[in-house]
Amino acid sequence: MLTNIRFTATQARVGVLAAMVIFFSIRSPVFFTSRNLTNVLINASVVGILAIGLTLLLVAQQVDVSVGSALAFSGAVFAVIATDGGSLFLAVLGALAAALAVSALNVVAIVRLRVNSVIVTLAGFVGLRGVAKLVLNGRSVQFEGFEWLGRGRVPIGSFIDVPVPVIALFIVFAFYFFLMKYTRFGKHIYAIGANPEASRLAGIRLEREVSIAFFLLGLLVALAALISVSQIGATSPTTGMGIEFLALTGVVLGGGSLRGGSGTAVGTVVAVVILAVLDNGLVLLGVSSFWVEVARGALLLGAVIFDELGRERGIRMGL
Amino acid sequence: MTTDTTPILEVRGLTKHYGSVVALEGVSFKLNRGEIVGLLGDNGAGKSTLVKCVSGALEPTAGEVYLNGERKDFSYPGEARDAGIETVHQQLALVDTFDVTDNLFLGREMKYEDWRGWFGTLNHRGMRKRAHAALAQIPATFPDLDAAIQTMSGGQRQVVAMARGAFWEGRLLLLDEPTAALGIRESESVLDMIRALIAERAEAMIVISHNMEHVWSVCDRLLILRRGQLVADFVKDETSKAEVVSSIVGAH
Repeated sequence: MLTNIRFTATQARVGVLAAMVIFFSIRSPVFFTSRNLTNVLINASVVGILAIGLTLLLVAQQVDVSVGSALAFSGAVFAVIATDGGSLFLAVLGALAAALAVSALNVVAIVRLRVNSVIVTLAGFVGLRGVAKLVLNGRSVQFEGFEWLGRGRVPIGSFIDVPVPVIALFIVFAFYFFLMKYTRFGKHIYAIGANPEASRLAGIRLEREVSIAFFLLGLLVALAALISVSQIGATSPTTGMGIEFLALTGVVLGGGSLRGGSGTAVGTVVAVVILAVLDNGLVLLGVSSFWVEVARGALLLGAVIFDELGRERGIRMGL
Repeated sequence: MTTDTTPILEVRGLTKHYGSVVALEGVSFKLNRGEIVGLLGDNGAGKSTLVKCVSGALEPTAGEVYLNGERKDFSYPGEARDAGIETVHQQLALVDTFDVTDNLFLGREMKYEDWRGWFGTLNHRGMRKRAHAALAQIPATFPDLDAAIQTMSGGQRQVVAMARGAFWEGRLLLLDEPTAALGIRESESVLDMIRALIAERAEAMIVISHNMEHVWSVCDRLLILRRGQLVADFVKDETSKAEVVSSIVGAH
């Protein structure tokens, strides 16, 4: 039975995170200060929001590598409308429309025409970056009056001011946690990922459920884009470059698998925070940023091997 | 008009082509209330294709399906299920990582009836209770009902799949190889379930099997498919095993 397995995958990750926090707190006097920890969470928020949306897709045996480019496109549409005399409200609507249009394209190609999601979103990864450049004319655009979402703080109690992006991350997490764990839709997504044919025969509408997952991700891409451009007060064609792979690293580090059927919102958030702590801690210790990337890769590989060993042992033991 | 003499299922000219491959060709038959019909034939004769066309898993190339005299065009399995057709597919159609309860309710999960159900919230406790009650009536033992299906033996999985077919009280049951790969004792308990189902709630059943003894022990009528065509329709009491076998292989 369970006697040989001491940790669940999520417990192991929380343990790793705790060990890292303790290690960096001992080695750096700056690390365990509220100012620095707040920074860590702010840095985790945009990646975390995307990673949570991607978790649902990976559970359903789908993937989207275009979220970084889609983020740039969505942010570009926002910036152009906002600086062209349009109202902020219109600009936000524009960003939302841009991101959802990308979702709609993905749904048509992947769900209707049944093209593999890696291929479709690889095309989006390349193509949408170009679209963002076209929208911005290749320039960087600055704007004012849109600081709150990215740089605002909300006082909670009388001691802590929580940054708005961190609140956004928490709301997205709470929503997905509930959706994936407690609803019929969530159950169907896990079933589809684990056994699509059994799900279809059981009367689950795969096309509809997977489409919803893509549109939800579209909403998150728009949110992430708005937070990103608000944080910087500007956007450029290179906004969000590489963030898709950082987010996917978070999903897989958190227990998601390209085979589908596994991954949780909790695991992903813990993993994204691990990545942010690693980044921050190593920089505070004066380690070169080149090594940070090496460490990220090593961590990901270690986690995947850990899970695979656990899985094989589970099967061998008849778990 | 639905009367007691209206066949529960009627299939007319059912045809399924995969490109140039003919899987089913003009199959017609009626299934009456209270009947258990065995569907026999060699590998590739079209048995599973026939069941899938009736249960909405495949769209027939041509032909019609009538349920209680009403024409049905099922475009996906959920529609056939809602019309009262329960199917136990050959590859079991279970989700390995789910437990027995989640598999029993797959695609038909219970939501809370009160305000908690507004968000599509699952009533997991209620489902578990009903699943455990249903399985307690089945002559089979499970080591742990809350363990994932992948931890169970082939026989136990088969019983779970059968239990799901029974649980939803379909009026027409389609069983594709319900005793394949089962041991003697497990086969017996599945055959007992089939007999109990037809006695208690199901109105009719189609059973696909390679095992002549099993078919013979539960079925009233035998339909023989060969290369996609219906070649014989025997009443069990008026035929012999030898006659059925020669019909399957096409010897005269």
